[in-house]
Amino acid sequence: MRHRRLRILVASAVAATLALAGCGSSGNSGSSGGKGGTTEITFWQQQFEPYQQKWFKTYVDKFNASQTAVKVKYQVVPGDTWTQKLKAAQAAGTQPDVATTNYGGIPAGVANGQFAELDGLLPGKAWDDIKPNVSGFVKVDGKHYAYPMLVEPSTVLYYRKDLVTAAGLDPNSPPKTWDELLTWAQKLTKGTVKGMSIASVAPDLGWSSWGLQYNACGHLPINDDWSAANAKDPCYAKLFQLYQTLFQKGWIPQQPKVGYADASPYGQGQVAMMADGSWAVGQLKQSFPAMIKNTMVAPFPSVDGDPSKPTATLGGWTLTVDGKSKQKEAAAKFIDYLLAGDPAIMADFFRQSGFSKYTVRTSVDKALASDPAATSDPFMKIISDKVVATGKAEPAYPFDISLAFATAIESVMKGKSDIPSATQKASDAIDRVIKQQHLKGTAPKG
Amino acid sequence: MLDTSTQPAGQVTQVTGPSRRTRRRGPKVTDQVPRHLRAHLTAYLMIAPMVVLLGIFVIWPLVYAFYLSFFEMSFYKDAKFVGFDFYQYVLTDPDFYASLWVGLKLAVMVVPTVLVLALLLASFIATLSKRLAAFMKTTVYVPAVVSSVVAAIIFVFIYQDEGVANWFIGLFGHGPVAWLNTAATALPAVAIPAIWLGFGVSTLIMLAGILDIPESYFESARLDGANFWQRTRYITIPSLRNVILFLLVTGLTLTIQEFQLPLVMTNGGPVSATNTPNLYIFNSFRDGTPYATSYSLTAALLLFVVIGTISIIIFRVVSSEKSSDA
Repeated sequence: MRHRRLRILVASAVAATLALAGCGSSGNSGSSGGKGGTTEITFWQQQFEPYQQKWFKTYVDKFNASQTAVKVKYQVVPGDTWTQKLKAAQAAGTQPDVATTNYGGIPAGVANGQFAELDGLLPGKAWDDIKPNVSGFVKVDGKHYAYPMLVEPSTVLYYRKDLVTAAGLDPNSPPKTWDELLTWAQKLTKGTVKGMSIASVAPDLGWSSWGLQYNACGHLPINDDWSAANAKDPCYAKLFQLYQTLFQKGWIPQQPKVGYADASPYGQGQVAMMADGSWAVGQLKQSFPAMIKNTMVAPFPSVDGDPSKPTATLGGWTLTVDGKSKQKEAAAKFIDYLLAGDPAIMADFFRQSGFSKYTVRTSVDKALASDPAATSDPFMKIISDKVVATGKAEPAYPFDISLAFATAIESVMKGKSDIPSATQKASDAIDRVIKQQHLKGTAPKG
Repeated sequence: MLDTSTQPAGQVTQVTGPSRRTRRRGPKVTDQVPRHLRAHLTAYLMIAPMVVLLGIFVIWPLVYAFYLSFFEMSFYKDAKFVGFDFYQYVLTDPDFYASLWVGLKLAVMVVPTVLVLALLLASFIATLSKRLAAFMKTTVYVPAVVSSVVAAIIFVFIYQDEGVANWFIGLFGHGPVAWLNTAATALPAVAIPAIWLGFGVSTLIMLAGILDIPESYFESARLDGANFWQRTRYITIPSLRNVILFLLVTGLTLTIQEFQLPLVMTNGGPVSATNTPNLYIFNSFRDGTPYATSYSLTAALLLFVVIGTISIIIFRVVSSEKSSDA
């Protein structure tokens, strides 16, 4: 009797162990063959504004309905869990065949073997259609590893006509220099309305200040060949002072409720001016339409008033095919349909975006030229001609470098340290990243 | 005895087992097992599933993580052996030490406060009538069932310019304070919801310990004229030594590893003032490069060592008969 009890006990323990072990081993193999010769591919899209998910879903469905050779399984992944989810899938071998990838992530991904080369997979005319200033964004050592979807400048100045006029300023003559911007911010700070909003925490400053770093110094805080830090250049002093003055004078919100990319404080009337990316146009049109008629846009002022200097980086998104995908041809066929095929598809995307993002294809430009909604948009021409035209590509170095410099800005902004100490610390941190991640001489050449 | 030395290589000897006669004569299997093991066989079998599960889900991953920490891992290329490089990278990174310091400061703010509050509240509840005590126990336990993400969001609203905290200091003529965006106030501002979330469970554990103390101790003390503080000082606290030790060790290890509150409330800012070790490791992992994966793995292992060491030190410093027995 006793032995029987023991056997039951042991059997139960083994069964429980196996059951629990089984829980951890479920999953799928990513791409797979479908029914009746259909090839199934998986597509992960990083979650963006609501209209984007709708647009992607619409055209994934249309693609699936248009033919029977390839079926796309579409999944939206929130941005704050994207890296963890993707890494877990890569470790398990269940990574998607096609994924959204930003320009800055392409060189590092190529070095890691993460992306398939697309030159042989997409037709030559697809590459010829890309505008020359963007073509280099998706190339490494002369080969294409992504197909671009759009560009969006990271920094544009938005301001309210009514409040500007009430403050005795001329809305038709927006600030041209950083000193003028500070004057405007001061005059527009009244009661509970702050003069403006701009990034004020390191993770946001890390990427949103790239354009202004170029503007202040003509370079980023690292040498061109990524061999040493270049953060202590005195020309950065004006940049630090701009952020410091805005924060310490209380002309920007002291405790921002949302991140830099979110235009809600401006839309809700809490600030009179806003530094934000071009995507904010889409958010204002969708969520705060009443604010549109009262809003004007201008290039973000430059350090010395020179409008030819960049004030924004051109970020944007692409689609990539995974280096380990077993269905590369099918994946490329989907990308060809969605991003590189009929210009009307991408034109529809830009229409949905409220013309807050910009095409990278000549044929899509032509399609939009005949669209009255695009040609009459009050913001598109200014952003396209005066911001996109001078914009620089986002840097491809690891974000650790951007974060080190952004932490220096935040330290000065919030009175934690002075400029020399902050830049020395940033310089040391950047040199450490260069050494540990073996970055010397690895800067992409396009 | 079977002699296999003369058999051709590769030939498997079939062991047929003892004959019926030998089986009858030989000792029972249980006789070969030491007496103390036999006495506890049932206990060993009962903990066996947990030991197996621990082995699969804790020990093995830990050993494998340690092995992987010597490689720069890539999910697309062969892992590259780099020896102790990543240990050197983590141990020479000022940000890693800064995050440990933040974790320790947070623990120093939270744990003693929770212990004192819990002790006072538990002592008070122990004096109440049964019905009132039941009401109080439920009341103090409520925060424990609130998700820390929800608590974090609630406190973000409390700390806003127009929030309750600034309304309160406004009554005394002070302007709004940027509680979560000033290096000096951000960590204490995160500590408050951590205390709020933690003191309910601690109070109930402390109360259970107090109710275990024989009432005769307190009666004798009362007869000798001891007041509430004297009874607490000379009876309650010494009797709760092991409970306090348990709460101290678990409180410290959990608070140093606090993750959700700073993630939601400040994302580690301003200027890394609330960047706890787990948040630091999490943000390191979010970079997509092979370097980031190996770096965060190694940092996590080193954090494991640091927290283990702190726990051992506490056990040594707060010597306890029962903990020593354990």
